[in-house]
Amino acid sequence: MVPASRVLDRNGPIADGWQRLADDAPAPAGASVLVSFARLKNEHNALFATAGAVGVDIGGDVELEELEPLLPRLGLIVVRFATMRDGRPFSVGRLLRERYGFTRDLRAVGDFIPDQVLFLLRCGFNSFEVGPNFSAEALKHSVAAYTVWYQRGVERNATVAEMRLAKEKA
Amino acid sequence: MYIYDDFDQTVAKQRVAEFRDQVDRRLKGELTEEQFRPLRLMNGLYLQLHAYMLRVAVPYGTMSVAQVRKLADIARKYDRGYGHFTTRQNLQYNWIKLEQMPDLLADLASVQMHGNQTSGNCVRNVTADHFAGVIADEVEDPRIVSEVIRQWSTFHPEFSWLPRKFKIAVTGAAKDRAAVQWHDIGLQIVRNEAGEVGYIVFVGGGMGRIPVLATKVRAFLPKQELLSYLEAILRVYNRYGRRDNIHKARIKILVRDLGPEEFTRQVEAEWEQTRHTGINLPPEEETRIARYFTPPAYEAITEPVTAFEDAKKKNRGFAQWVSTNVHPHKAPGYAIVTISLKPIGGIPGDISADQMDAVADLAERYSAAEVRATHIQNLVLPNVKQADLLAVWQRLGEIGFADANAGLITDVIACPGLDYCSLANARSIPIAQRISERFADLDRQHDVGELQIKISGCINACGHHHAGHIGILGVDKAGQEFYQITLGGAGDETAATGQLLGPGFSSDQIVDAIEKVVGAYLDIRQPNEPFIATYRRVGPAPFKEKLYGTR
Amino acid sequence: MAKPDTGPKVLTGNLLRDGATVYYTGKDWSLYVTDAKVAATPEEAEELRKIGAAAYAANLVIDVNVVDVQSTPDHVPAHIREQIRATGPTVRRDLNKSMSPE
Ligand code: SF4
Repeated sequence: MVPASRVLDRNGPIADGWQRLADDAPAPAGASVLVSFARLKNEHNALFATAGAVGVDIGGDVELEELEPLLPRLGLIVVRFATMRDGRPFSVGRLLRERYGFTRDLRAVGDFIPDQVLFLLRCGFNSFEVGPNFSAEALKHSVAAYTVWYQRGVERNATVAEMRLAKEKA
Repeated sequence: MYIYDDFDQTVAKQRVAEFRDQVDRRLKGELTEEQFRPLRLMNGLYLQLHAYMLRVAVPYGTMSVAQVRKLADIARKYDRGYGHFTTRQNLQYNWIKLEQMPDLLADLASVQMHGNQTSGNCVRNVTADHFAGVIADEVEDPRIVSEVIRQWSTFHPEFSWLPRKFKIAVTGAAKDRAAVQWHDIGLQIVRNEAGEVGYIVFVGGGMGRIPVLATKVRAFLPKQELLSYLEAILRVYNRYGRRDNIHKARIKILVRDLGPEEFTRQVEAEWEQTRHTGINLPPEEETRIARYFTPPAYEAITEPVTAFEDAKKKNRGFAQWVSTNVHPHKAPGYAIVTISLKPIGGIPGDISADQMDAVADLAERYSAAEVRATHIQNLVLPNVKQADLLAVWQRLGEIGFADANAGLITDVIACPGLDYCSLANARSIPIAQRISERFADLDRQHDVGELQIKISGCINACGHHHAGHIGILGVDKAGQEFYQITLGGAGDETAATGQLLGPGFSSDQIVDAIEKVVGAYLDIRQPNEPFIATYRRVGPAPFKEKLYGTR
Repeated sequence: MAKPDTGPKVLTGNLLRDGATVYYTGKDWSLYVTDAKVAATPEEAEELRKIGAAAYAANLVIDVNVVDVQSTPDHVPAHIREQIRATGPTVRRDLNKSMSPE
């Protein structure tokens, strides 16, 4: 049977030790728990004290200033696509990595499709929670679709302009 | 013009391979239509009334002879032998098959062309002044920065899923032929007091249901800081633009809702954070791109060119054509030619494969091998010697494109409308054809003078009716095609939104109504006063009275 | 209140593969509106809608719609948009198809 959802990284399926908690479910001691932003705001002290690790589930409409003070203690940020056309997670990912210096697990969830994964990687996401119809095969294609870029991504690739300069100097 | 290097070519090839894979997965059912639709749109592929329609990007309107010939080949091989130039300097094919798209894109890529980002909620193909590089009053050729923007916006990892489409236009001259104030971002290249080159930045213009002229958010942006500033604008928009209502999703609504001051403050604050993070283009790269736009070596020609002056004296038709379709060139003895794709009774912007080939031949022989597409749905030969104009005009006559009507009443802009477009309320093209036939007499046209009529088949305004001196908007009135008239719109540096004159007209009445509007103008104009100036002087009242009587 | 929608209707769409405008005949899809199966009652129209949704889900046709036709033997589409869809652009008669097979 295909599981309802699974987690992939750029190479394929990975193990996922995170447990998604409903807002009224108690946090098991020592577990890695994923909670809503509302709950995190209210209970962060208690959560950080009991849980082994804490992750938060946010949408593209998040005000990052609000999240900022908690960032150093978060092990996972899940950014939710409202629909596959919701482009806000791309900005949120890039900001979390480049401006707020978040270095741990950054995960996309929602209705995005494999063809969007390359750009998500380039905006700082490293894992993907996907549904049963999401093709891991297509994700592999998507990740390899382009090898050169005009813009700099979070991975700090050389841009086409920089590669041109390097080529000229060589 | 710009020529791809290995890096550009790699990106182009990888795009074709990616779309080939996506089409394959769609045909196998691995992608649903909901998933596939945005992907095909970002490759320029729409579904229209009769078939798929492909919109090919013509970046900033510039094409080589080889590209025009390839467009002709593609029209024959994959379509029904013709194409349609649009108000965004692009070319559309109307009869495309999805299963042939990958091969078609590969053919386009062989001449460095594509359909990338000609649709979808992304940064669209950038447009620029169609006289770029060849007019005298220019600070800098706007195609240089347009190419910079083309590269930066191509497959941008952060800004490919915006709330809505996003259009950027550039003018290098104070005389605005690119309608920059009607765009999501409009750039005007200027020189500051210290003599440095930079940009006036306009944001939040757009047509559609809610026409808005752009706000000037910056009086001077230093040239080398452009990309970080664009990213700041796009980031504010991507995060805060509305996504809950398609009619309120353009950046113009965000600017309106925040207020221009607050919007500008947010952009500037974002920019302060990113302007030093390596987003701006290395100056060497700008220099490299600029080299491609070095003007051709013009011959030193002393004016007047006798043969040209004599031909005008001897041939009235030629002289009339010169007066409307030939524009002064920055190099003495040269001229800029507008090829009218508006033959009397023809379909505005349509061109057959054979006509494309003929235009390519003309450009090769007489115009430094370059052709431009204009947002008025015409073509331009930018580098013609005055001595060659007669030959060019004669050849254009043979292919049906020698009408002396550029800028006149029969130079009508019309979107595809209900003849092709699945969103249309009413047909646009037949109205354009009938107006053109009504005013066919060339002396009458020249007497009426400069007058832009622009027709859209629905409120999406692809025919730019809001910016027409006379705008015509097709609406659906209880299942019938009806047409509303607006007056006073403009797309140049005096940009203005046309105002609705009154109740609409049926298809049978609309051409008479336009003739009455023109009649009212002729009655009240002052000597040498063009239509738009008269309208601005007297307002709508005399036109209303003529159309609807005094009540 | 909207008045009850009872007029004759046909099922139409565009083939996924090549985009051609087609009509459901009761068995398969035809290029010609006169081949179309006409739904005379709201129940029959609902049946057509279901067939359309299934053909869409099977990736055969897209832009699937049930549209009004006139109550005449050749059931020409009622609305001008659908009349144009059935034949082709009115400004290029040379490229039009007729509403029925030759
Ligand atoms: S203005 Fe409307 S009818 Fe005309 S091309 Fe645009 S969407 Fe279609």
